[in-house]
Amino acid sequence: MDILSFLRESTGRFGPVGYEQALAQWLKTQFEPYCDEVYVDAFSNVVAIKKPTRKAAAQKADGATAPPKIMFVAHMDEVALLVTEILKDGSLRVRGMGGVDPKIIPAATVTVHTETGDLFGVIGAKPPHLQAADDQKKSVKWDDLYIDLGMDAEKVKKTVNIGDMVTFHGELIELLNGRAASKTMDDRACIAVMLDAAERLQKIQHTAEVVFLCSTQEEVGGFGAMTGAYSVYPDIGFILDVTFASYPGAKPDSTVPGDAPAPVTGPFIQHKLLQKLKDTAKSNNIKINMELSSRGTGTDTDEVEIARDGVPCVLVGLPLSYMHTTVETVQLDAIKECGRLAAAFAADIEEGWDKDLWI
Amino acid sequence: MDLKTLCELNALGGREEAVRKVVYDICVDKLGKDAVSFDGMGSVIAMRKAKNTSLPRVMFAAHMDEIGLIAVSAGDDGLINFRAAGSVDPRVLLSKRVMVGYGEDAVPGVIGYMPIHLQSSDEYHAAPTIEKLSVDIGAKDKAEAESKAPKGTHITFATKYTEFGDGFVCAKALDDRVGVYNMLRLLDAEYDGELTLAFTSREEVGLRGSKTAGFRVQPDIAIVLEGTTANDLGDTEDRFKVCIPGQGPCVSFMDLSSIADHELFKLVLKAGQAESVPHQIKKYVAGGNDAGAIQRAGAGCKTVVISVPCRNIHSPSSVCSLQDVDNQYHLAQATLKHLMKG
Repeated sequence: MDILSFLRESTGRFGPVGYEQALAQWLKTQFEPYCDEVYVDAFSNVVAIKKPTRKAAAQKADGATAPPKIMFVAHMDEVALLVTEILKDGSLRVRGMGGVDPKIIPAATVTVHTETGDLFGVIGAKPPHLQAADDQKKSVKWDDLYIDLGMDAEKVKKTVNIGDMVTFHGELIELLNGRAASKTMDDRACIAVMLDAAERLQKIQHTAEVVFLCSTQEEVGGFGAMTGAYSVYPDIGFILDVTFASYPGAKPDSTVPGDAPAPVTGPFIQHKLLQKLKDTAKSNNIKINMELSSRGTGTDTDEVEIARDGVPCVLVGLPLSYMHTTVETVQLDAIKECGRLAAAFAADIEEGWDKDLWI
Repeated sequence: MDLKTLCELNALGGREEAVRKVVYDICVDKLGKDAVSFDGMGSVIAMRKAKNTSLPRVMFAAHMDEIGLIAVSAGDDGLINFRAAGSVDPRVLLSKRVMVGYGEDAVPGVIGYMPIHLQSSDEYHAAPTIEKLSVDIGAKDKAEAESKAPKGTHITFATKYTEFGDGFVCAKALDDRVGVYNMLRLLDAEYDGELTLAFTSREEVGLRGSKTAGFRVQPDIAIVLEGTTANDLGDTEDRFKVCIPGQGPCVSFMDLSSIADHELFKLVLKAGQAESVPHQIKKYVAGGNDAGAIQRAGAGCKTVVISVPCRNIHSPSSVCSLQDVDNQYHLAQATLKHLMKG
């Protein structure tokens, strides 16, 4: 799989939180070459199943014993904007869908998705020439922002509806040293990790049934992962989400270096499973940087681990700079290393993996 | 030469080569090598001789440069610190794409920001300052960043020219490639007097090239073709709506750099009315442009400014009406026609 091509195409596809239906159908086609069964569920989650390629001893004796089931999760939805008001002059007032910083919006270009088609829009910015002396010291607020459609107000009122989705422009560009910037690397880059892992598992024998879940509605609370985990009912959850690469001025302990997978430690993580993950990393010479989530992880992990009667989980962060902007930047090598770690971990899951899990 | 190509050329004040080359070649092609020269500041001056020397000697001016950023240093993390070249509101820079350097040496970069998740409440409510922003080209460390972007490297916005809505366009550098575009059309203008097209340098850093071009040419009349600030959408109070895109080019009686010659100002309006070219009067005294320097170059001359209204001017995504761009040309041509009538 060409990671860069997948990122270029997937990050440009429409998938605001709650509006993932078409994206899910496309993602299904991406997993089909590597999986035995792929379906889209009622919540628009994509569930891709890779059956075991190595039989556990217990299964040989007793065909009824199911193999261990590990579920990888990365979310497909993206943060976006939503039309909340059509002003008299035909410009549109907006609000964020998911955690969008209004400070990144001035002079951005966007697509307004209407019932009758997509419209190009520009977010207005007051020119320096007309600003009062202290204007630039004021932070931008949602109410200062509007979309210009370059259209007559009457026509806008006929075309645009309150609640129409607005997505950002921000096509992928390659930077130096194998880095790439794009909108929506969060979390399509982790879907790339899952595809990479699926491809690797074509060549590695595994006892576990491996399920890849592309979840919906993460940006508003992990709802796709909640329902997906219910129906898949895995033995192990392995969540992949982007995490914070270092940023000047950020507290040093709130970020990780950008070049390697960052497994998370903390009360929401099953600590023996985490130890197993570290062992896998070590035995495969995969560099990792540990990250701490002292309480909730703010990822699908928080929902997956309390699905049904509980699912032991690990979480691996893919470091990303400038999260929730249109220039989210990742290192391609880090994606590959996450893929290598995920595949190796899945292959290491053997029958009896949970023997010492809790004591 | 189309507006798209002109807008997508990168040229900050002092480094107008890309635009200068295009403009020079077209002028030489039209008027011959002897008619085209450079002044000491790199402005391109294309002069068409008079058929009728009793007519006023007219100079049009439009500036080749655009606003942008300049690299000043790099951090240990490989991020490039910058300052503004021209008047730039730091608040429009977040989450944008840029090109660092020119031509084959150029590398793409992005301006990010601290993720909303990591901002303290104070940080969330604080406006970004230019000192806190940086360009990321993917450099591993300070040495690599400084090798790609030594101090003084120019950084331009990487915005694609996009036509949208009902005859509008979103691009960088509409200020003042619209003027450059129309001056290239005016090489064929109907006018029997001496006609000079001055493509000026370094307007955005202080009206520099127009002063020297004005001195060199010493015209009777100078007409500046510009992009000017429109501020008409959203919650803007009526009194701050400088002009309205789509309602024709703006004629200024005054801005912060010059007062238009009143007779010339009236003549432009009269020409527009007589030739049915839509136009509007700039309603607010703001901004400044080459007219201020040309008016007072040498012994001085009469000036007036005809501008295309641009929303979000001095941002990576300025917006104007293509009809206004066309009518800027027609209003200039109508003005020449009326000057010929006397």
